[in-house]
Amino acid sequence: MGRYFSLSAASLLLASGHAGARSVLEPVGEEAQQIAVLFWVMLSGGALIWLGVVALLLHAALFKRHGMNERSASRIILWGGVVFPSVTLCALLAYALWLMPGLRPFTQAMGSTALRIEITGRQFWWEVVYHPPQGPPVTSANEIRLPVGERVELTLKSADVIHSFWIPPLGGKMDMIPGRTNRLSLLATKPGAFRGPCAEYCGTSHALMAFSAVAMEPEAFRSWLAGQANPAESAGASGGALFLRHGCGSCHFVAGTDARGLIGPDLSHLGSRITVGAGILPNTEDAIARFIARPELIKPGSRMPAFDMLPPDDIRAIAAWLRGLQ
Amino acid sequence: MHISWKKLAIALAVLPFVVVLAAWIGFFNVGASSGHWKITEWFLHFAMQSAVRTYALAVDVPAALPRHAIQPAAGHFARGCAICHGAPGEPRSPVVERMLPQPPDLAGSGEWTDAQLFRIVKHGVRFTGMPAWPTQERDDEVWAMVAFLRELPSMDEATYRDLAYGKRLARPADAAGTLRQVLADCARCHGEDGLGRGPAIPVLAGQSEAYLLESLRAYAQGGRTSGMMGLPATAAGPQFWPDLAKHFAALPSTQPGGAGDPALVRRGREIAERGVREASVPACLGCHGRRDRSPLYPSIAGQPERYIEAQLGLFRAGKRGGTRFGHLMANASKGLADDDIRALAAYFSLSATPTATGMQSAR
Repeated sequence: MGRYFSLSAASLLLASGHAGARSVLEPVGEEAQQIAVLFWVMLSGGALIWLGVVALLLHAALFKRHGMNERSASRIILWGGVVFPSVTLCALLAYALWLMPGLRPFTQAMGSTALRIEITGRQFWWEVVYHPPQGPPVTSANEIRLPVGERVELTLKSADVIHSFWIPPLGGKMDMIPGRTNRLSLLATKPGAFRGPCAEYCGTSHALMAFSAVAMEPEAFRSWLAGQANPAESAGASGGALFLRHGCGSCHFVAGTDARGLIGPDLSHLGSRITVGAGILPNTEDAIARFIARPELIKPGSRMPAFDMLPPDDIRAIAAWLRGLQ
Repeated sequence: MHISWKKLAIALAVLPFVVVLAAWIGFFNVGASSGHWKITEWFLHFAMQSAVRTYALAVDVPAALPRHAIQPAAGHFARGCAICHGAPGEPRSPVVERMLPQPPDLAGSGEWTDAQLFRIVKHGVRFTGMPAWPTQERDDEVWAMVAFLRELPSMDEATYRDLAYGKRLARPADAAGTLRQVLADCARCHGEDGLGRGPAIPVLAGQSEAYLLESLRAYAQGGRTSGMMGLPATAAGPQFWPDLAKHFAALPSTQPGGAGDPALVRRGREIAERGVREASVPACLGCHGRRDRSPLYPSIAGQPERYIEAQLGLFRAGKRGGTRFGHLMANASKGLADDDIRALAAYFSLSATPTATGMQSAR
């Protein structure tokens, strides 16, 4: 049984990862772009130097049959061993330092017009709170959406252990450290959906802690955010009543209902997310039902207790209701 | 006579076979009528007393014995212990006096320390008729029994009978025949009114019927371990559980009185309504607050303070099983600090049943 579950969880993981996974070498964000350029500069520079050194080595081994005099040897050591590395390394350092302000929002004026997203790492999920310039904060979980072409400030925190925030094609990594607030800025240049993994080992289910990142056109983003600020309406009302009846609201918050818990992920608009279980399962009723029944099979070490003692019909009704919270 | 080392070695090697052979042909008399050989008796007592003394060194003794819980201990004593050890006004049966070894009359239990008594009551004694406590998970029950045993030597008959039987002056029936008999057995500790005879006993009056039924099942089947409740739940028999649950659920509960420590009650209310987010403690009232929640979630408002405190402590220690939903509470109570438990006990013991307000939230 356990084997079946873990195998199917792994295959789903691959399936869901396939859709939005992109590499650091295909940047669609300004920060990731700069880092990619830095990487290519470093790589090609390193390759050139390596080729030069190998060429010199071959030259010395094959053609230079007798030693140099002391004077020219010293000159080679001075130019090739001191001056050239110092100049090259200083240039690279200057280039890297020159890139840094773009990656560190506190070195430039962000202005109060920018959107700020507060992300808190928890074992093993992400709490996401949008602070738009106007209007009340909007809480979500395990999915981060941001407008294309607008700089967004991220404040990164942790509630338990060290996590690390990373959206490879957009930017990061930056550690989330308990008791500290780290800041990162991102500017997405193209729309798309990506997978963001936790990039610092944080416990049993570290490898199963991820989120979906979605870069949207600004207009679409704003109407999406406005929709998130209001309670969702779901068709399966009986599932909603069962959700409260079995006490799910002790840990989970669902806007517009009596479910006011703050321990687990906010489920107000669960149905609109790409994945469930923090980036590991496709968002289907079946996946939600499986998570409710045996969370520890899907996410070992999860704080959520198993609910497989509920009647299967109740679990299905709750899953359908949650899936309908668009 | 000269005995060589070689002959001695052969004799020693053969000896075990001789002993087994003697046992096989039935040489040893195992009858209790003639008693032990003097040396056997001396050795067994010497070994038993030494072992209790030594193993008791590892027992964690509470600062004060739980004297508030001697009533259920007396009830359990009447069912499980008095038959061999006697009780005030109930001398040991002549049958028991022919046991080997003879169970001691507990009027004289003063020779043991509290820790030693705990060790004997919890683990029993091998080669005697003394059984271990029915579960090894419930040290709280064993300590209650130790507290009762400390009072027993000076207890008069009337006090004992009141503690153990209440108004009914009958011995508990082991094989119960009718619902009346079973209810009389329950009432010895839970009271005829279902309000519980003392601060260690939960209020059953007005409790959810489904929860009472599932709890009886859990006690009998071992899902919820208890020496004191496992036996009567099993003895009552599954055919009476639904009627028992119905009976107690239908009794009227009373409104708790008193004010308690206001600061403690306020803190308890805060945890009940909002939980402790940093410690992943969910809000109690998300499940326990209202009538429209699952009937398998019990009402805890108005339960005795000491009872709530004890149960939360057991949940946190992973020793309080329960119904199929019990693991939810084990999970929920993991992050509770001792002060949180005291605050919750103070709040719920004084809150009315049921709270209509439900949980609050920081958001």
